[in-house]
This record gives sequence, C-alpha cells and structure tokens, in this order.
Amino acid sequence: MAARGSLNLAEATEAALIVAAQARNQAAFSELVKRRQGWARALLRRMCQSHAEADDLAQEAFIKAWDKMSDLETPAAFPGWFRRIAVTTFLMAKRRQKAVFEEIDDASPIASEESSPEAAAGAKIDLEKALARLSDAERLCVTLNHGEGLSHGEIVEITGLPLGTVKSHVLRGTDKLRRLLEPQ
Amino acid sequence: MTDFDALLKRSFAEAHEPVDDGFTVKIEHAVVRREAALKIRNLAQTVGLAAAGATLLYGGYAVYGGFGQEVLGAAGIELARAHGALNSAPTVGATAQDVLQSIGTGMTQIMLMTAAALAGGAVLYRTTQD
Repeated sequence: MAARGSLNLAEATEAALIVAAQARNQAAFSELVKRRQGWARALLRRMCQSHAEADDLAQEAFIKAWDKMSDLETPAAFPGWFRRIAVTTFLMAKRRQKAVFEEIDDASPIASEESSPEAAAGAKIDLEKALARLSDAERLCVTLNHGEGLSHGEIVEITGLPLGTVKSHVLRGTDKLRRLLEPQ
Repeated sequence: MTDFDALLKRSFAEAHEPVDDGFTVKIEHAVVRREAALKIRNLAQTVGLAAAGATLLYGGYAVYGGFGQEVLGAAGIELARAHGALNSAPTVGATAQDVLQSIGTGMTQIMLMTAAALAGGAVLYRTTQD
C-alpha cells in the first residue's frame, strides 16, 4: 500500500489518519491499525480465553471498521466507536460458537476458586489468569468496566444486556478478581 | 477508590499488547482483497443492471410491436362494450355478467402485457438489490 498525497503517515495525527482512511486511503488505515492494534488486541485478549481467537476477532473488527469508516462521525469518537465494533464482534463470535451467553441472566454460583491451589496458598496470580477464571459474561463486563472505564449504562448500551445483569456481573467478577489478585 | 480498585486499574493499564507487524500486514492484505472484490462486484452489478434494462426495453418493444395496436384496439372495444352493457342492462345481475364477459375477453392480452412488465421489473429490481 503506497502512501497517498502529501500525508506523512508516520508523523500524522490519529485524527488525520482517520480522515484519510474515511477517504479510502488504505495506507492511512494501515498506520491506524499499527497504532491501535496493541489496545484492540489487549481488549479482546481480556475478553477471550484464547490469544489466537482474540487476534482473529481483532482482525475481523478492524476489517469491519474499514468497511464502516464512513459511519464514523468525528475522528475523536474513534476509540468508543471501535470498542463497540470489537465488543459486537466478540458477542457475535460467542453466539456463533453457541456459547451459553444466556447464562448471563443466571445466578450461577461463583466458581470454586477458593479450592484452587493458588487461592488456597494465597498466591497472587496475574490479571490474565484471574480473568480466565471468570465466566465469559463476567469477563466482558469487568473488562469494559475496569479496563475501559465504562459506566454500567455504557456497558448496557454496548452489549445490550439488562442493567441489573451488568451490575451483577461487574460485582461478582470484581469480587472474584479481588480474591484472586489481592495478596492474602 | 479502594486500594484494590487502584490495583485493578493498574493491572489493566499494564496489560498492553506489543505491536505485531504481522498482524498489521494481515489486515493490509485483507483490505486489499476486500477492495478488489468490491470493484468486481460493482462491475458485475453495473453489467447486470445494463442487461436487465436492455431486456426490459426489448421485451416492451416486442410486446408493443406484436400486440400493441391489437391490444389497445381490443381494450378500447372492451371498454365500450362494458360501458354499453352497464347502460343497457336491465338488472344488476345481468349488468355484472356482461361486464365480466367483456373484461374476460380482453383479459388474456392485458395479462400478457402485465406479466411481461412485471417480469422485467422484477429482473431490474433484483439486479439493483444484489
């Protein structure tokens, strides 16, 4: 992909790259991907349990973003807009896999991490491993709330889940993480 | 904010993936393929639209050339008959029967024309929707 026009991609601001990408400049979009991929992949890796799956979904999300660039109203809205695409891509993948996302509404008891060797030994495990202990729905809600700084209302808007369910998953997920991450 | 909230926030902030050039290249290739496919689709759509338009025009011309005058003449006669039947019918039942007979006589030709127009329209609509 060759750079088009006089836009110096390496030094261009993100806003300039977004405007150029909206004009179907593929090189500008590549530069945007390069700058944003770390954040996007990290976001999806926290939601998925598999790194390979997370990278595939991140790729899918970027391609959807390319297709819908014209829908983005202002460059400043890009992070929120892309986050929504990433979350939607994740949810659709889960539905395709027939993951039991209906369990979101359930009142399943907290997994028995107390009985795990790490917890029993009071060992501090890292965030990724701790997140892997949560259910898909809890991981999604906790990541969006604590990782992305979204309010419960914003999570409802992005995921389409009921407010009570979101609150419950954030609370339960955070509680599980507290027990897994805090030194005993 | 509790100590744990701060710890959680810090842990999330630290969990950042390093840049992977291979990831960017994969997306570049996917975008190039997508744009190429889009161009081909647009071309196919244009060709399909032109073909459908030509088919419709040709069909209309053929129908008009073959039956046009006859159909129009027949329709006029049938209308006149229907009008006459309505005016002279002694009863409502007889009037309705005469009208139906009159319309039925010319209906085959009218339906033929309508079917040709609908078929052409459907082809054109389908092409624009693909």
